[in-house]
Amino acid sequence: MHIVACIKQVPDTTQVKIDPETNTLVRAGVESICNPYDLVAVEAGVRVAEKYGGKVTVITMGPPQADSALRQCLSLGASEAILLSDRAFAGSDTLATSYTLAQAVNKLNATEPVSLVICGKQAIDGDTAQTGPGLATWMDYTQLTYVVEIIEVADGFITVKREVEGGTEVIRGKLPALLTVELELNPVRYATLPELVRSLRQEIKVLGAKDIGGEPERYGLKGSPTSVKQIFAPPPHGGGKVFETASDSDKVIEDFLSTFFEKESSILSEVLSSDGSDHAQEQ
Amino acid sequence: MPKNSKGREIAEIIPAKCIGCERCLAACPVPEAMTMEGGVAIIFPEVCIGCGRCFDACPTEAIIFERVRKKKAAKPEAAGAAEAAASVDGHKGVAVFIEVYQGHGAEVSWELMGKARELADKLGTQVLGFLLGHNVKPVAEEAIAHGCDTVYMADSPAFQVYLSKLYGRAVAKMCQQVKPEILLLGATAMGRDLSGVVATILHAGLTADCTGLDIDMEKRLLLMTRPTFGGSIMATIVCQNQRPQMSTVRPRVMKLPRRDPGRKGEIRTLDLGAQADSLPQVIEFMPKAHEVGGVDITKAPVLVVVGKGACDSRHLPMLEDLARLLGGAVGCSRAVVQAGMLPYVRQVGQTGKTVAPSIYIGVGVSGAVQHLVGMQGSDRIIAINTDPHAPMMQIADYALVGDYLEVVPRLIKGIEARLPSLKGVSS
Repeated sequence: MHIVACIKQVPDTTQVKIDPETNTLVRAGVESICNPYDLVAVEAGVRVAEKYGGKVTVITMGPPQADSALRQCLSLGASEAILLSDRAFAGSDTLATSYTLAQAVNKLNATEPVSLVICGKQAIDGDTAQTGPGLATWMDYTQLTYVVEIIEVADGFITVKREVEGGTEVIRGKLPALLTVELELNPVRYATLPELVRSLRQEIKVLGAKDIGGEPERYGLKGSPTSVKQIFAPPPHGGGKVFETASDSDKVIEDFLSTFFEKESSILSEVLSSDGSDHAQEQ
Repeated sequence: MPKNSKGREIAEIIPAKCIGCERCLAACPVPEAMTMEGGVAIIFPEVCIGCGRCFDACPTEAIIFERVRKKKAAKPEAAGAAEAAASVDGHKGVAVFIEVYQGHGAEVSWELMGKARELADKLGTQVLGFLLGHNVKPVAEEAIAHGCDTVYMADSPAFQVYLSKLYGRAVAKMCQQVKPEILLLGATAMGRDLSGVVATILHAGLTADCTGLDIDMEKRLLLMTRPTFGGSIMATIVCQNQRPQMSTVRPRVMKLPRRDPGRKGEIRTLDLGAQADSLPQVIEFMPKAHEVGGVDITKAPVLVVVGKGACDSRHLPMLEDLARLLGGAVGCSRAVVQAGMLPYVRQVGQTGKTVAPSIYIGVGVSGAVQHLVGMQGSDRIIAINTDPHAPMMQIADYALVGDYLEVVPRLIKGIEARLPSLKGVSS
């Protein structure tokens, strides 16, 4: 079985800080990492390949440096890696990105037909969760999002457990299918030394727009219906009142409560009148 | 103005202003002169030819370029503008996809209905509802009561269960028949699953998790504002040339409109023709309602949130007391889930749940940006922390500097003393 995992290299948002003076982002020296959800996707693909036989190809679209994220996936057991890198892809929104990935999967289909595509639920830099469904739609594959368990792959069908509103469902769909996966699907293994060495030595295939074909006007900026018009700093919430409780905690907290109950009396009475309704804790 | 070693005046990126949209890269004529790193554009000074096209393309003034150019570079025209104008023409109305759970419309759909009403009034057009399901006429009537003018309904046993391809194709078909200029969906599990399918079929622009929606009256464009980079920047996104302009909005971001049972509207039944083939089958559904004490942190009016600074299970009962006193629930930051003190369903933040309680009480929560994006819609924020410089203390309406073990018991005592009088007033 040929499995494709789609990954994205993202800035490590846990390192992004805000400069309190200028209220701007401090992003100098922020590392690029492989999107954590996508590592779970690669691991899931490798597990399916180990269980049912087959191999995993990882694909990413990005700048030449995205190479390092692909190598990390190779070290986790992926067999091949493809980097889609071309100026023609620059400025892609999720529609153009999913189109580009679809062209790459089509190209793979010509030689080694793909049964399963696995993507992370979302990328931590944009949080849109749109690329997976987009890719499934371009390919006309069975779409199964928010997967928390892969139960079985057999007889041209896949059965998974997925998160839905208000619960989970077990659902069985025809292959080829596209899954987007949650973090709790499976822990990601540590690479073994031989796999690490292989991942560093292995060649990564770099493909551009001409290599994967498709309609040029669907790539990059031209193929992206959305554009950023403006950015601005979020309205400050703060300017709040500070209460130093260290010195005389009894008095200061009394002061706080008096202020709070006086100034926020309408919010408080609203909150307390809804007391005992649908949110109530059943403990 | 910076120069390279050849003495050429070149462009320079201001990383703090760069949003990683890659418009500069798309505009740059020299393949090796620019790249992206860590989500920020980089210019290689020795390769840059100083043409200034990146400067023209940048939407955020993140590029410095001051060289006087002989020919003023014309702003690049939007691709396929003529074709686009044709596809924009004839699209009217603000549509809301109405989610149905167990025979009822989802609250987020009514919240969106309220927003759609406001947008439609600005545009001088109608609010439309797109409704799929089986025996859902009562939901259509609810939609009208919440501000919808015309509900387009496809009522069929086939739509009893949500399936991506089935619903995706059906909603896309509704868009092709009805031609709304805007389509809003809830950013729920279903809405996010569906919106990507519909947008791809229609080749439409889609913006996820918008926190603000407005209209550019001059151009009749939807202005979709969303937090980006973990909420530290707000970006306004537009979709010039494709219709509908699609946007998802998380629950409890927009205000629930007042329900008016006497409101009049129209219900039209649509026949969407043949259904998609080879659909997956739902074998089993397991409701989650009674998991983990039935607590839904997204619905609690008051949320006491435990952070790393209060991650000690011995003191959890005290924090639960505080929450219970105010009719609230206990949530937590990611570190507390990782420590195993509370389950994942209680996690607030980017990788957890988005909450917007009336009162948020952060106990020992430092306020990493990933956490802040998940709670910044809270009405009032109280923070308790020993570090007055913690980000949470900066954004709080009330910042209590001190040890939570000292502060919380006194809060409980003080609130207990005040509650009787307050309850007496409200009831």
